[in-house]
Amino acid sequence: MIGVSHYLILSGLLFSIGFMGVLRRKNLLMLFFATEVMLNAVNIAFAAVGNYYGDLSGQMFAFFIIAVAASEVAVGLGLLILLYKKYGSLDLDVISSMKG
Amino acid sequence: MESLVYIALFAPFVGSLFAGLFFARSPKNIIVGIVNPALIGLSLLASIILAFYVAEHGAVHVTMMDWISAGSLHIPFGFIVDKVSVTMMIVVTTVSTVVHVYSNGYMDHDKSFNRFFSYLSAFVFSMMILVMSDNFAGLFIGWEGVGVCSWLLIGFWYHKKDVTPDINPAISPSYAANEAFIMNRIADLGMLVGIFLIYWNVGSLQYDVVFKALPHLTDGILVAIAIGLFIGAMGKSAQFPLHTWLTDAMEGPTPVSALIHAATMVTAGVFLVIRANPLFGMEAVQGVSYFIAALGTFVAFYAASMALVNRDLKRIIAYSTLSQLGYMFAAAGLGAYWIALFHLAAHAFFKALLFLGAGNVMHAMDDELDLFKMGGLKKAMRGTYIYMGVASLALAGLPPLAGYFSKDAIIETAFNEGTLVLWGMLVFTAGLTAFYSFRQVFLTFEGEERYKLFGFHPHEMYKYVLIAMSPLAILAVVAGWFQGSFHEFIITLLPEYEMSHHTHHLAGKLGLIVLAFAITGIVIAYFKYARRGEKAFKQDEKVENGFIYKLLINQYYVPDFYVEFIVKPYKAISEKFWAIDKAVVDGTVDMIAKVIYTTGDKTRTIQNGNLSSYLNWMGAGTLLLILAAAVVAVMS
Amino acid sequence: MEHILSILIFFPLLAGILGFVVDKEVAKAYGISVAAVEFLLSLWLWASFDTNYAGMQFNEFAPIISQFGISYNLGVDGISLFIVLMSTLITLLGIILLDEDKIANMKNMIISLLFLEMTMVGVFLSLDAIIFYLFWELSLVPMLYIIGAWGGPTRVYAAVKFFLYTFAGSLVMLVGLLAIAYLYHLEAGVWTFNLLDWYQLDLSVGLQFWLFLALFAGFAIKVPMFPFHTWLPHAHGQAPTIGSVILAAVLLKMGTYGFVRFSLPLFPDASVEMIPFIVVLSIIMVIYTAMVAFAQKDMKQVIAYSSVSHMGIIMIGVFAMNAEGLGGSIFLMLSHGIVSGALFMLVGVIYERTGTKTMSEFGGLASIMPVYATVFGIMLMASVGLPLTIGFVGEFLVLLGFYEVSPIATILAGTTIIIGSVYMLSLFKKSFFGPVTNEKNRGLKDLNVRELTALLPLVAIVVWLGVYPKPVLGPIDKSVKQLLVNMEYKARTQKAKDTIISMQLAKEEK
Repeated sequence: MIGVSHYLILSGLLFSIGFMGVLRRKNLLMLFFATEVMLNAVNIAFAAVGNYYGDLSGQMFAFFIIAVAASEVAVGLGLLILLYKKYGSLDLDVISSMKG
Repeated sequence: MESLVYIALFAPFVGSLFAGLFFARSPKNIIVGIVNPALIGLSLLASIILAFYVAEHGAVHVTMMDWISAGSLHIPFGFIVDKVSVTMMIVVTTVSTVVHVYSNGYMDHDKSFNRFFSYLSAFVFSMMILVMSDNFAGLFIGWEGVGVCSWLLIGFWYHKKDVTPDINPAISPSYAANEAFIMNRIADLGMLVGIFLIYWNVGSLQYDVVFKALPHLTDGILVAIAIGLFIGAMGKSAQFPLHTWLTDAMEGPTPVSALIHAATMVTAGVFLVIRANPLFGMEAVQGVSYFIAALGTFVAFYAASMALVNRDLKRIIAYSTLSQLGYMFAAAGLGAYWIALFHLAAHAFFKALLFLGAGNVMHAMDDELDLFKMGGLKKAMRGTYIYMGVASLALAGLPPLAGYFSKDAIIETAFNEGTLVLWGMLVFTAGLTAFYSFRQVFLTFEGEERYKLFGFHPHEMYKYVLIAMSPLAILAVVAGWFQGSFHEFIITLLPEYEMSHHTHHLAGKLGLIVLAFAITGIVIAYFKYARRGEKAFKQDEKVENGFIYKLLINQYYVPDFYVEFIVKPYKAISEKFWAIDKAVVDGTVDMIAKVIYTTGDKTRTIQNGNLSSYLNWMGAGTLLLILAAAVVAVMS
Repeated sequence: MEHILSILIFFPLLAGILGFVVDKEVAKAYGISVAAVEFLLSLWLWASFDTNYAGMQFNEFAPIISQFGISYNLGVDGISLFIVLMSTLITLLGIILLDEDKIANMKNMIISLLFLEMTMVGVFLSLDAIIFYLFWELSLVPMLYIIGAWGGPTRVYAAVKFFLYTFAGSLVMLVGLLAIAYLYHLEAGVWTFNLLDWYQLDLSVGLQFWLFLALFAGFAIKVPMFPFHTWLPHAHGQAPTIGSVILAAVLLKMGTYGFVRFSLPLFPDASVEMIPFIVVLSIIMVIYTAMVAFAQKDMKQVIAYSSVSHMGIIMIGVFAMNAEGLGGSIFLMLSHGIVSGALFMLVGVIYERTGTKTMSEFGGLASIMPVYATVFGIMLMASVGLPLTIGFVGEFLVLLGFYEVSPIATILAGTTIIIGSVYMLSLFKKSFFGPVTNEKNRGLKDLNVRELTALLPLVAIVVWLGVYPKPVLGPIDKSVKQLLVNMEYKARTQKAKDTIISMQLAKEEK
């Protein structure tokens, strides 16, 4: 029987994968993908927990996040294109401008 | 009478300002040479009139104005002219007047002639404050004032450069001046402590109040006060172990040595003990008083022994001053205050005369001080020879000169007190005194004319200078004759000291013993140093390499001891402290600053503008926060 | 002249602001005239000061933030009166001494000095803790600028060290001041930073102890007490003459003044408890820094370290807990201000002529510059505490007063009269005595009119207050006795009551 805990474990795994991606990747596009994975991991958790409590607000939040994520991707990808046009690369080491 | 007190006190001050303010920068001005001695003479005149007044009507006490008042402490500028202070005033002004006139001749060719008179008169003013003040704080003003004037005058020829001690043991005038000042300051601390003790236990520093309150104090306090004051006296009067500055002070011009370092300032310590006789005479402080007497006797002998071998004209007289100060302390310590004061006065006259005579010799010999380069000067300098001979006779204690009466009384006192060891030492020292004084006189004036080998052309001092010295010579002869009347005069103020019947009975024989020692000393000196031709004096290598000679000529190695164990370590520790200050104290501060700085320097790489590393740090931070939250949750 | 205190504080400020539009050529003349007016104003304050009244006079009060009880609150008593006078005098003489040929940008210098004067006067006249703190911190800014702009080769290091070190201490002090206000709020229910209100505050001994330490951090670094003194030699070493003069004469006194104005009356028990601690530090200051001074090669550093040594004596006097010692220490603050100010001026004079302060470069100066040597000699004698100079009165009273507290400590501190003369006399011997060793020095000119104008008034004061200190000592004595009576009344423990001696006043009044 697949219970709420299985969903949560899946969510946790996906979140970790996304988190590792955020930490390890150097390409901005890949970073975007990784954040999407993390967002969707959270969505799974919301849906599962909402279902478990019989509360619709969990699924509502999941939809809400999907909508926000979509618009964010739209804006973000636009910015990425501009960055690519400016630097010719999306590698973080290349486009960092502060010398610290 | 009040105005006379002020005239006696301020006439020297006016002279000092006159010479200092108007003529400091101009070349030698004869007006200064006339006005300043005249003002000191005025002070002398006022002192003499005051003496007659005091003898008849008792002490004059004036209060000029308030000086310091804070809390319950009130110190006025108050002056008392009683029999003790008027005696000192007369002694000081008499010697000062002669020395001022004498300086006209002695400093004739010095380009700082006016400056010299300014300092010299300032000294007289300080000395008058010292002796006339009616409270311990006022005494301390004079005490420090004479110290500064002594500093200025020892270092008068400040432009001379430092040399090594084997060329000149005093190194340089400025070095000797600093040594004197600092050594006196050590003693002054003791004196200050004595003053503090008096204030906190009596509530006043006025002599009359303090002396009245003494019987109500505990023994411990009394002893502490006596010790504190005596430490002060030891510094000014150059008693062991604070004596080394006095011989080095001979770097000053000779009139200065005569006035300050023989007749007046160095007797300030004795004066303090005499002034504070109600304290030192108390039953509770007999221990301290006996110590004073014993130390005085020791110094008398100790200094005389060093004078035996010295070759320096002025240093021998300086040692003899030390030795005579020892005699005075011996008398004061044994309770014979009036005898101490009497010897103080008599000594001032003949010692000043001796120094001024030495000044004449230096003047004649182009400032040469080595006795072995003199000899046979009597032809060229008959007047000086007579003066120095008289002074030495007085110092040696031959009748009927002043020293005979005063010194004999001290020795008699030591016998009378039953302190036979002190008596023996004092008698023996009297013999030494006679020997070294005449060794000096004979080496200078008799014997072969050794100076010819060194190309000196001695000449007698100016006539007026010799005449000016005559009052001292007369006093050195006759001062002793007034022992009886002085006794009568002073005894209403100072405690009576009576010889016991037994002593009185033996007095004649005791005097003969002393006299025998003195004459023996002179005779030995004559045979050894005064003869000419075959038997003329020659340096003896064997003696000079002997242990005792070496010990004495090196002043028992006390100055070397001070250099090795005080001066050098003090310098070394100071350097060490400075290194510590830079490395440790300041280093710690700099280290704190450095830690902050390096921390910033190292951690600024976090801010490298790389999004990826930012994200890494963010992740780490998040984890840390979660962990912290978990820990807190578990704990609570 | 009802608002004389406000005028005293804000006249230099306004004049300083106006100074920005003054023509460069007349900047020094402008500075002298402003400082002279300010000095005359402070003399007027002295003349109209009621010497028979011990409390605060010429009070001014205007609320600023009434919710928190912060107000513009000024007053002057015998303790602060003469320190204010000394500040205005030293500023005036310091400006007179400025050499127009040597100081670049004279206008900025004058403006900085006038701002500095405002803050100095402000510190000593404030009776509100916040206003006091404000002036206290503001005083750092002009000094930072003076050292940083006109100083020697490592001036930036010295200036920053001076600023950060003292600033760090005063922040701790600020915390202490806020804590006192908070405790007052707890007890009385109202906020106030009025010092006179605070005097009524009754604190437990434990609290007193911690608050004492907090204020100690601010004051001790300013004094500067051992081991917080190391900023001082750097600051003096790099500061221009005028900076050193004001730093030594006035800024250091802020620390000791703080102890007298805040620590003693606010925390009588803690002050008594802390006597051993303070005294040990002070004796180390006296002896240790005097020996360090002896080891110096640089004339100015000798004077700088001697300042620390003398401040040790002042600290001992502050904690003597009797009218003789405390009054003496306040007098010593004045005398040290005059004497060390003059000594720094004198070092500045020779530095301007030769470009060096190293003693081995001199030697025999007394033959070349006799007037200079004489003035230096007088100041030297005042510095070693010769009677009938200003230096003796304070030193004597402090040691006398402290003898009642601890004879041993007094004897140790009293060694200052010995080791003080050791380093001063050796300085004098190295620089002034002996033959002229450096041929370059042979043509040196003696003091000129400008330098004499600045120095002779100080010489006159040194002698005048040494012979007749009563006009100054009288008002100080009155206020100090009042302070001690309040302290004894307020003290909680019997030990503190026994140590604080104010009984003589009671005796006198009867």
